[in-house]
Amino acid sequence: MAVSDAVGEAAVGGGGERKRKRGSKPVPAKWRTEGEQRIYSSKLIDALRRVRRSSASAPSSPSSPPSDHVRNREVREAADRVLAVSARGRTRWSRAILSRRTLRRRVRLRACRPKPGSAACVSRAAAERRKSPAVEKKTRVLGRLVPGCRKLPLPSLLEEVWDYIPALEMQVRAMNAIAEAFSTAGGAPSSPTHVDSMWIEEETM
Amino acid sequence: MSSRRNRARQSGSSRITDEQINDLVSKLQSVLPEAGIRRNDRASAAKVLQETCNYIRSLHREVDDLSERLSKLLEESSSDQAAIIRSLLM
Repeated sequence: MAVSDAVGEAAVGGGGERKRKRGSKPVPAKWRTEGEQRIYSSKLIDALRRVRRSSASAPSSPSSPPSDHVRNREVREAADRVLAVSARGRTRWSRAILSRRTLRRRVRLRACRPKPGSAACVSRAAAERRKSPAVEKKTRVLGRLVPGCRKLPLPSLLEEVWDYIPALEMQVRAMNAIAEAFSTAGGAPSSPTHVDSMWIEEETM
Repeated sequence: MSSRRNRARQSGSSRITDEQINDLVSKLQSVLPEAGIRRNDRASAAKVLQETCNYIRSLHREVDDLSERLSKLLEESSSDQAAIIRSLLM
């Protein structure tokens, strides 16, 4: 049966109770590699420096309070954008993030976003028929959380999520590492790290 | 990936069966942190989706917190620091 073939293909990947990680299709491995994280971290730092430079040079308007929120927003957006770039445009969520930036500046074009979704519409109508309302509701909520996946049918949505979550995890790991590096470099030397020793040399404490 | 969709379309009524959904959902379970769901149970699709939503939300929150932290650190740091860190990370 055609259906069971498709099911079989999915079952081999994740269904077997043997080594899940070593199955035919493990979790997108690239998000778990050190190399990818390193690339992401360095690109992010570059983006952060740009943010810092632009916020430093921008004239502070007397009406707005210290623009912490604006800067947080910019940092968050930079982090997301660099993450989306790392995905190399292969996933819908990454493309959505990259196109998000320009849309935000103009009007919020939620309705008329030109997406290649005509094929998805056919299967979407049929797919919805088969699901319980609870699952449908959760699907909708999930679709709102992942960028650009608001109207996806469940199978495609799960594919996107399957890539999105490891990417987010890498983002968290990388940002944590950067924050640690910055804070150990800036503050009093507490633990002997590379960054610390370099800093001590420069500062001649 | 797309072959699955094509096959479904060719079978006429494009049935995405419950079984298929359950398979995808169990595959999703492998990405979630272990604490969420016991893998021994056959967790229902709705529960896994719920856990996924919660997990993504918590990841978003973490990223937001880290953004805030980085933004503060950025303000206090010098550009030399950033250059040093970058070269160290490479």
